[in-house]
Amino acid sequence: MARPAVETRALVKTFGVVPVLRDINLQISEGRCALLTGGNGSGKSTLLRIIAGLSQPTSGDAIVFGASSRNLGVVRRRIGMLTHQSWLYPNLTARENLTFYAELYGMPHGDGLAEKWIAAVGLAAANDRVREFSRGMEQRLSIARAMMMAPDLLLLDEPFAALDPDAVAMVADLIRSAIARGCTALLTAHSQLDLGIEIDRYQIVNGRVVPFRDETRAPQRSRIGA
Amino acid sequence: MGAFAAVLRKDLRLEIRSGRSTIALFALSLLIMVVLVFALNPQPIDRARDAAAALWVALVFAGMLGATRSMIAENENGCMSALTLSPIDPAALYGAKLAAAFAFMAIVEIAAVGLITLFFNLDFGADLARLAPSLMFGTLGFAALATLLAAISSRTRAGDLLLPILAIPLFIPAIIAGVKASEAALSGFPLAAASQWLGILAAFDVLFITLGALLFEHVIRED
Repeated sequence: MARPAVETRALVKTFGVVPVLRDINLQISEGRCALLTGGNGSGKSTLLRIIAGLSQPTSGDAIVFGASSRNLGVVRRRIGMLTHQSWLYPNLTARENLTFYAELYGMPHGDGLAEKWIAAVGLAAANDRVREFSRGMEQRLSIARAMMMAPDLLLLDEPFAALDPDAVAMVADLIRSAIARGCTALLTAHSQLDLGIEIDRYQIVNGRVVPFRDETRAPQRSRIGA
Repeated sequence: MGAFAAVLRKDLRLEIRSGRSTIALFALSLLIMVVLVFALNPQPIDRARDAAAALWVALVFAGMLGATRSMIAENENGCMSALTLSPIDPAALYGAKLAAAFAFMAIVEIAAVGLITLFFNLDFGADLARLAPSLMFGTLGFAALATLLAAISSRTRAGDLLLPILAIPLFIPAIIAGVKASEAALSGFPLAAASQWLGILAAFDVLFITLGALLFEHVIRED
């Protein structure tokens, strides 16, 4: 049996007195793709941020590749993350943004890597500043930023938001390729997705993560790409 | 070292491209000089003291603005989270932000020295050159403190108000030392006459840089 890439143990998160996540015990094995669904404000993004070590749980713990998310240390570089915020500098061009992140991660030939990923997400405006980008273009570049370092764990918060159908198929293909090389992925979405690969499906109900059951709610799956 | 250089290069590139901070800092320095010249109406005998005071007032306010701008850029699209998740050592990240703030402040100070020379009718010459150590130590210390505190204040709603409330009381001993060292330099005394004040400034530099390097990791982390 594959080792867990991500494991949460009795994880609780409250904002003030408002509980958002209650007693989360989730395990995602290495090389698997997991999908977490839930409504607005259900705690999906919060859970991803805790797993990435960007937010601290109120109690319990999240373990990523054997390290507590409270102190991930060198495990940080194995994580690629997409959030609702683009993590891009508006006054830098697309190429400059990706080159900066490549240098930050100590990747050799950052310029070439940036070029490759700009092409991979189908962006033609490599030399335009990000502040001139549409929401969809920014999302494509953010996905390139998250995936260009070939991470072992992808945390993708609503990766298909704001994308046109061509871009959706392209991003789905990139996710499939990442899974094929052994990457673990945790995606969030508001509804069920079909990426053409085996997906472990979970949902957040009243702050608790439970396996998704078809009979709980009729899935509205849309087959993406492939 | 590579990540440090990448962050510093990015900050300098952003500033060169927009020029927002440097222009704002220069404009603020100019306004401070104008206000102080009219308020103090400097007499020849007090000229060195008044000029030193004006220079340090400009340094402190320009420094706060510069450090805040640098952090706002990181928070604009959540980029600080990306830096937190990246493998860069928080102390190296702090060092890069400090180096960028120091560079912006140094550029503005060169202009500010030119302005005090004009507004306070000082002679261009050796006296101005003797200002360099006190300004360099003072700028480094204030950039170190302001970078750390701006990281805290930029995440709060009343951040612009919070920074001066936090920074100025902590920097008052260094301001006193800096004004005294600058006054000695502008009065034509040799550098040795200000050595004790320069020593105090250097000690504050070490203190603030050490604190910043140790605490920055905790400051940029979320709850």
